[in-house]
Amino acid sequence: MSGNIAPDVAVSYEARAPFGRLGAAAGRLLRNRLALVGTVISVLIVVLVLIAPLVTPYGPNAIDYRAMLRGPSAAHLLGTDDLGRDVFTRTLYGGRLSLAVSLGSIVLAVGAGVPLGLLTGYLGGATDEILMRLIDSVMALPPLVLALTITAVLGPGLVNAMLAIGIVALPGIARLVRGQVLSLRHNDYVLAARSVGVRPSLIVLRHVLPNVLDPVLVQATLGIGFAIITESSVSFIGLGAQPPTATWGSMVQVGFQYLDSAPWLAMAPAVMIFLAVLGFNMMGEGLRGALDPAARSTA
Amino acid sequence: MLGYTIRRVLGVIPVVFLTSAIVFGLMHLLPGDPVQLLIGQSQTEVSAATIASLRHQYMLDRPIWLQYFAWARHMLAGDLGASLQTHQAVWEMIRPRILPTAQIGFTAWLLALVIAMPLGAITARHPGSLGDWIGTIGALSGAAMPYFLVGGVLIYVVALRLGWLPPSGYVPPDQGFGASIRSTIMPAVTLSLSLGAVIARQTRASFSEVLQFPFIRSARAKGLSEIRIMTHHAFKNAMLPVVTVLGVQLATMFSGAVVTETIFAVPGIGRLLVDAILSRDYPVVQAVVLFISIIVVVANLLVDLLYGLLDPRIRQA
Repeated sequence: MSGNIAPDVAVSYEARAPFGRLGAAAGRLLRNRLALVGTVISVLIVVLVLIAPLVTPYGPNAIDYRAMLRGPSAAHLLGTDDLGRDVFTRTLYGGRLSLAVSLGSIVLAVGAGVPLGLLTGYLGGATDEILMRLIDSVMALPPLVLALTITAVLGPGLVNAMLAIGIVALPGIARLVRGQVLSLRHNDYVLAARSVGVRPSLIVLRHVLPNVLDPVLVQATLGIGFAIITESSVSFIGLGAQPPTATWGSMVQVGFQYLDSAPWLAMAPAVMIFLAVLGFNMMGEGLRGALDPAARSTA
Repeated sequence: MLGYTIRRVLGVIPVVFLTSAIVFGLMHLLPGDPVQLLIGQSQTEVSAATIASLRHQYMLDRPIWLQYFAWARHMLAGDLGASLQTHQAVWEMIRPRILPTAQIGFTAWLLALVIAMPLGAITARHPGSLGDWIGTIGALSGAAMPYFLVGGVLIYVVALRLGWLPPSGYVPPDQGFGASIRSTIMPAVTLSLSLGAVIARQTRASFSEVLQFPFIRSARAKGLSEIRIMTHHAFKNAMLPVVTVLGVQLATMFSGAVVTETIFAVPGIGRLLVDAILSRDYPVVQAVVLFISIIVVVANLLVDLLYGLLDPRIRQA
């Protein structure tokens, strides 16, 4: 594991890395067994849902009334649902939407959270104080409760669910970036830039931003797992994907009605959610170890 | 400690104020006119005059900040409003839901503590061992496990196939203590898994750090047994970050309660929120979200105070 590399070995390894710091980080990520397993699981799931049309002959909404609620077989690997639709196919196509919504919400959270964190952290003063109290207050609300409430007000649907999850994840990213900026703004290179008259906006973009990206990448990767769980919970409650569109969460919701007679209906997408979240979480933890020297030394 | 307590309690006021403003703003600043929603509940034609009168009655013709203060005054006086659906007082709807949520939440919390804390401590004691690996993978899996996977497997195996426990529903303790416990077990186990995973990981990280300290080496050098070192020397120091996690996890538990109570048809706070959201009963949604957030804020305050009690450095900071 990366945590067991002696400091001198790690330094020489970084020095030899062909792609500099990122290459070294990727190397460390792949040498961490947990992270490697997580990356493999995540990549496999992403590839599988992307090539869905190549691995299954059925359409996600193709109804077959002669094959309703059939158990797993050679023709239908994970059985069929209440309308005779192939569960394996719907799990793959549903995964596309689940992952897209989760990824979209995290892109939104990072896109808005990073500038907000940079701004409050660098400006300081009353702006920082007010925004941080506001962020603390948003974070006092349970994430799913907030996501459900926002989705309910915006109206059910996947785009609104994505917006809601993005808004819920945003304060965490902003707070992380703000913390990083506070610790960086008194570093010598920032003070030097300021003393030679570099504009604050340029200091933030050129000297501060590159240094906050590593923790943001870690947080965003872990955030994907959170977003998958939250999206599936929102859809499970009935506020996400609307029929006949399938996401993992909405498939579980329908599957629960047939838990006694056809357990595969709920279990197939639920296991996919578990594997995807596990994969992204393991990858995120691995990234943390690979990118953060402090985490490496205590791992 | 008194100064620390006063500082902490005063610090909660702006958070409660802002949280209530957010909850209020969510319902009023996002698209959708509350009066239109109110009208949407009735089947009859509504005249423009009635709409204007309703807008006046609900102060919607006044500035948003005035609306907020009027609403906050009612909330502080204990008037949480009335349901658009049933016209019942919202507090009367919340009150009977507290016991099921608290009972399941407390059982889950207890289960998570009893299993996860020793697990975290043992894995920290033997880093790199097979047990450590199993513990780490178990904790990662627990954190990634969606409630409906655990709940679905439990309902299918324990309730439907083995018939050991009821598949859904809740029995209050006054209608039979045994039946009440039986109806609580599966939702509590479902809720406890992710909580346990977080506690186990935090306990492991915390013990790993504390076990490196010189006073542990001194204790070993004196020939103390490992059990005594773990329980008498490492425990108190390692528990501080775990206590914080317990407070933070309360918010997560409410998120879990929403899903778990839906899965097991438990008439708790989470299920009330879901029903109110699905029927667009906004006064109920608003009041329940505010109720939950105040409980979370107060619990975090208690954790902060406990933290100050356990660690003198915190209260002097």
